[in-house]
Amino acid sequence: MTRQQFQALSLGLVAAVVLALPLFVRSATYLHILILLYLYAYLTTSWNLVGGFAGVLPLGHATFVGIGAYTSTILSLQYGVTPWIGMLAGGLLSVFVGVLIGLPTFKMRGAYFALATIAFAEGIRVMVENIDQLGPLKINGPRGLQIPPLNFGLANFMFPGKEPYYYIIVTMLAAVLAFTYFISRSKLGYYLSAGGEEPEAAMALGVNVARCKLIAMAMSSFLTALAGTFWAQFTLYIHPKSVISLDLSFEIAFIALIGGRGSIGGPILGAIVLRPVSDICRIYFGDKLPGLHLIIFGVVLILVMIFLPRGLQEPFSGLYNKVADRLTSTVPRQE
Amino acid sequence: MKILEVKNLVRDFGGLRAVDHLNLDMDEGQILGLIGPNGAGKSTVFNCIAGVYPPTSGEIRFSGVSVHGEKPWTLCRRGLARTFQIVKPFSSKTVLYNVMVGSFARTDRPAEAERRAMDVLRFLKLDHLHDTKAGNLTIAHRKRLEIARALATEPRMLLLDEVMAGLRPTEVDEMVKIIQQLRERGITIFIIEHIMRAIMALSDWIVVIHFGRKISEGVPAQVAADENVIKAYLGDEYVVS
Repeated sequence: MTRQQFQALSLGLVAAVVLALPLFVRSATYLHILILLYLYAYLTTSWNLVGGFAGVLPLGHATFVGIGAYTSTILSLQYGVTPWIGMLAGGLLSVFVGVLIGLPTFKMRGAYFALATIAFAEGIRVMVENIDQLGPLKINGPRGLQIPPLNFGLANFMFPGKEPYYYIIVTMLAAVLAFTYFISRSKLGYYLSAGGEEPEAAMALGVNVARCKLIAMAMSSFLTALAGTFWAQFTLYIHPKSVISLDLSFEIAFIALIGGRGSIGGPILGAIVLRPVSDICRIYFGDKLPGLHLIIFGVVLILVMIFLPRGLQEPFSGLYNKVADRLTSTVPRQE
Repeated sequence: MKILEVKNLVRDFGGLRAVDHLNLDMDEGQILGLIGPNGAGKSTVFNCIAGVYPPTSGEIRFSGVSVHGEKPWTLCRRGLARTFQIVKPFSSKTVLYNVMVGSFARTDRPAEAERRAMDVLRFLKLDHLHDTKAGNLTIAHRKRLEIARALATEPRMLLLDEVMAGLRPTEVDEMVKIIQQLRERGITIFIIEHIMRAIMALSDWIVVIHFGRKISEGVPAQVAADENVIKAYLGDEYVVS
């Protein structure tokens, strides 16, 4: 077996398991948890384009989730536009806002950039919470928007069961992973990593660091907004505290940091480890200790940063390589 | 045509004049050495030419065009590459990755960038280390990696900022050989160096600066015999070897 064959085989195996899961997981609760796991893996992978590769730490990505969710929901509720088109519109609006946020903030370094993105995100949340009506658009302030479950079907991005959502988010996750993989091996990917690690050296080698970061931000905010529309259609109810909250921004960053920033598999591993913690905390301690999951995340983050500064992906990819070497080195010799 | 012309270059940092009305020019294919005591403004001259900061006044022309206020990355595309005195490798990445960042300046295709990067690594005898993380290299290899990355951008002119500092004598000899080979490839070289043995052997022309001002220039033997240079930099005991 060659290395490529092994990779294809393991990828195929994972794909088969993921696609077959809903056949065995009949409980709506567990399916819901799985869907959220994929959704967070998707969000973190999108975040990773700028937060991982470009070496900055944006902590306001909930803004883009919110833009995606609100754009498609308002368009479908008030103008009867299918959420699929709303999804695209939200993505484009998000690119605009992302670039607007990126232009002044990418000149800042380290913690200042992180703080600036938090400030933007919180500012937008507070604005949405306090606006009932924006021109012709009904935003409904803190009460949020409810999507009446009336017209089910693929065209309306609305389904009575959870399975269709499962397959949509799996497709989205696979697409964003493939996209990230492609970017990481492209010129842009090299330029982003170089600019993130040693901006001065990168500039001297012909890299327009600020422009690369803006492109990454545009892609990241577009992809993140798509997840916002998915979120809205999945829960059929959005409000500022759910889709534009700081908790959401932080959870994405936590997953990335614990899983491994700047790696393809990191966000997935992070989501697999942290999402169940988050869900279990909400199910069992949601009323007594709300926010418990963030405390646990903090402890896990500290431990990971001490013992595995490059995230959980490091031991896992080491393990994968070991298994791959073991299996691919025993090529039967044919004389 | 001159590949580089620096006219009346001035660069101030607050009240400090780091470079004071400096004039120099270079022919294509030349090796020009810039020497002077610590803090004389050598690296500032480099940083002005490479676009890290704009000159306070004066003009810099690269192959006949004024490059005033141009950014490092556009200058790189024009064919001006540099190394840093304090090496700045992308430590978490492999040697090959580091050099590919450079070769992407001339191609958009990863396979092509990799091929060109490997060519450069072979030339600098670093190819056996292509899979090593740059952060794990020895100082001699890091200095060489700096040159490899700069070279991968396919420059017409290379600014080398103390690429021999910290090297052992045998490593210095190797580096001198590398720089001579670069010149044979037609690359113009502007070099800052403190190791006199190397710079005397390499340079066609040497410029000496002190407190940002040019105090002497000439062929190596001329400069080494100049009283001003001996007083300011070389010291009484210096003998041209």
